[in-house]
Amino acid sequence: MSLLAELRAVLGREDVLEEPVELYVYSKDASLMRGEATAVVFPQDSAEVAEIVRVAERHGVPIVARGAGTGLAAGASPTEGGIVLSTTAMTSLEIDPENRTAWVGAGVINLDLSKAAEPFGLHFAPDPSSQSACTIGGNVANNSGGPHCLAEGSTTSHVLGLEVVLAGGEVVTLGGDAPDTPGLDLKGVIVGSEGTLGIVTRALVRLLPIEPDVRTLLMDFPDMEGAARTVSQVIAAGLVPAALELMDQRMTVAVENWLHAGLPIDSAAVLLAEVVGETVGVESQAQLIADIGRANRAKKVQIAADAAERDLLWKGRKSAFGAIAQLAPDYYLHDAVVPRTKLVETMTAVYDIADKYDLTMLNVFHAGDGNLHPLIAFDASDPEVNRRVHQAGDEIVAICLKNGGALSGEHGIGVEKRDLMRTSFSELDLDAQARLKDVFDPGRVFNPNKILPEGSRCFDFGGVRREIPDGAWV
Amino acid sequence: MPWVTDIHPTTEELNACVQCGLCLPVCPTFRLTGRETASPRGRLHAMSAVHQGLVEVDEAFASILDFCLGCRACEPVCPGLVPYGRALEGARAEIVEQVPGRGNRRRWLLGAGLGSRSLMGAATTAVSLAQRLGLTRLAPGRLRRLASGMRKLSARPPATVGHTGGSGDAGTIALLAGCIQDQWFGGVNHTAIELLERAGHRVTVPVTQTCCGALAAHDGKAAEARRLAERNVRALGSADLVVATAAGCSAHLIGYGHWADGGQAMASKTVDVTVAVARAIEEGRLPRLRGTRGPIAVQDPCHLRHGQRVVDEPRMILRAAGYEVVEIDDAALCCGAAGIYTVLQPEASERLGNQKAAQVRSTGVSRVSSANPGCEMQLRSHLGSDYVVRHPIEWYAMAVDEEFAG
Repeated sequence: MSLLAELRAVLGREDVLEEPVELYVYSKDASLMRGEATAVVFPQDSAEVAEIVRVAERHGVPIVARGAGTGLAAGASPTEGGIVLSTTAMTSLEIDPENRTAWVGAGVINLDLSKAAEPFGLHFAPDPSSQSACTIGGNVANNSGGPHCLAEGSTTSHVLGLEVVLAGGEVVTLGGDAPDTPGLDLKGVIVGSEGTLGIVTRALVRLLPIEPDVRTLLMDFPDMEGAARTVSQVIAAGLVPAALELMDQRMTVAVENWLHAGLPIDSAAVLLAEVVGETVGVESQAQLIADIGRANRAKKVQIAADAAERDLLWKGRKSAFGAIAQLAPDYYLHDAVVPRTKLVETMTAVYDIADKYDLTMLNVFHAGDGNLHPLIAFDASDPEVNRRVHQAGDEIVAICLKNGGALSGEHGIGVEKRDLMRTSFSELDLDAQARLKDVFDPGRVFNPNKILPEGSRCFDFGGVRREIPDGAWV
Repeated sequence: MPWVTDIHPTTEELNACVQCGLCLPVCPTFRLTGRETASPRGRLHAMSAVHQGLVEVDEAFASILDFCLGCRACEPVCPGLVPYGRALEGARAEIVEQVPGRGNRRRWLLGAGLGSRSLMGAATTAVSLAQRLGLTRLAPGRLRRLASGMRKLSARPPATVGHTGGSGDAGTIALLAGCIQDQWFGGVNHTAIELLERAGHRVTVPVTQTCCGALAAHDGKAAEARRLAERNVRALGSADLVVATAAGCSAHLIGYGHWADGGQAMASKTVDVTVAVARAIEEGRLPRLRGTRGPIAVQDPCHLRHGQRVVDEPRMILRAAGYEVVEIDDAALCCGAAGIYTVLQPEASERLGNQKAAQVRSTGVSRVSSANPGCEMQLRSHLGSDYVVRHPIEWYAMAVDEEFAG
């Protein structure tokens, strides 16, 4: 039977898309890289996923798992063709309020999980800006973060167990309800593997209590330096705010243009800080942050008066990427991380790079953990501009790494940052990662050619050959 | 260029989407299916594919766009400010032009019937008779559902078209009577005239007006939509304020800039009746009542809340009348009525209708406010006869009568 016929036999005709226009709609995620799938499938559970895996293996075609398609690194773009496996039909949700955990289907939307947990006084801590749309499966695949991961850690800190479909269609549960499961932490290997090792169908996640009180501060500064220095000094003062987010002027203007929340559009930088805990604690912490801000020449310190005002501020922050569309049809984004103490000099260098290549740069980022999101707004239909954008991107990453940073904080590597992996990892590191991939995916079915650049394996000629003398054993 | 009409989705409209995906969770059809092809982002993506000449305007493209309710819930959440509703109308017009069999009879009948006052009159007489004889219970499934959502009609409802009255101290208003609205929901128009005249307006309902053209535009009949819009601009455009009592109509009038010469000038002075009445209460031209009258559940018509961003006014009107406002759905997901969607996509419409009814039931409140006739019918048919569904200005007027009679 043909691939499509087998998929239809497994799922029924309704749950297999194959029309050219349908395949085009699934040809990319929120990144810039497009692929070309043969089919899009909507399995209901791990048993159906297992069947699909076996079909793919028989036909030797890749499977690319996809949640809401909000990924920014082409992790869910079918760049090698094959099957796009949509997780959106896997939406089971069982909350265990006593243990403060939940078994969550891969297709459940991040914010829907927190809304469902709210009646029990609980929430799921990782809160990517796309949390109103993105799915738990995608969060697990990318080890996603979010503004509030400064204090609580990213997705991996909140995953206790995973139901995963492995090669051969084997369904396993890694980790579990017990506080500590014996053996290697294999779920830790799966989290952040971007669908390259298997397909996560359900996750057992930790839920945290909703904090009794919260203060959200908005401070605006005449220069980026003052804002960045405030961030470093807040942490140095011993505070661990729930979130510390920075937005530059151009970004603030774009957001305000849509939101009409009265954001300070005349200031070079806007800092959003949030502290949570008991009322007494948050009052004094908010006061301290405000004092540090004023000492760094904050023009105005505004504290959200109520939940509605707070929600409005967060809405502005979390929709920032989409607002870029007002400036240009495409954006290119890095999410490199630098030590907080290097924020000021890295930011200055990043703006200089944009100027050098004559590009429009915006910044909105998780300042508290030094996770930059320099965005270049441009029109991808111009190849010359495209070239400059990617050159600038490479230089931005280089400067971040030089300042002691890392390639990606939370968005994943996918294809967009794949070829930059060599700037962070040695040949040996990459080889070890490739061998791990081969153990899980000997047939190279799961999201192939993502994360690891070509030639990562030591016996893979291509990347390594140049440095090895002719005739040498490898 | 694969497009053939002059109102096709434009490069600017399509480029305004950077595919961030924030529209997905507010889209009722994406929520029902979990499919990108049933989401605003996916539909824009499909339009882009056509725009670039990668796919044709064919049956597959049409079925992607047919499934859209046109509720525009994606617009307020879009930080890129994509004019989705406009692009959708353009794409639908292309489908009508390019996909064979798209001007089919069922759609033509609905479109033409609603636009014609005499056809509507005949239909009204027939339905009224059927209601009296209890024949509506014998109708086949889908029609029975529709019929159960209707108000009790009189055989010759007193139409408002041709009416003129009021002092005009607060300015003149031209009222768009609406086709369904005037015949099947006449009570709303009569109430609007009474309230607006009491608020100091001179209200006219010109006989030269016609259907607003919303259904034609949503269904891709661009020429028809233009013809109707131009006629209404001539009929209504000279008043100080243009008011429509059905949210679907007022939303479309506000978009007349796309449809008629002089359309933008009229659009800029057009408001939904809830806005006009709320303004009058605010300015003390209509009374705030003292008594308390218990809870009312508020349903937001999509074309009021998402299309016009009117959220506070219906609530303000109800509160001014002493009712307690009860929210039913923070996200204001579409009830599934969506113009003729009930007829074209019965299954999705049914599921959304049941979902909305369940939300209303869970409030425990049996009085419901809805500012659009399609939503009112959908709510009534899914809630059953234990629930009373009325326009917010009717709830207000009832309270006014009560207070001043007592």
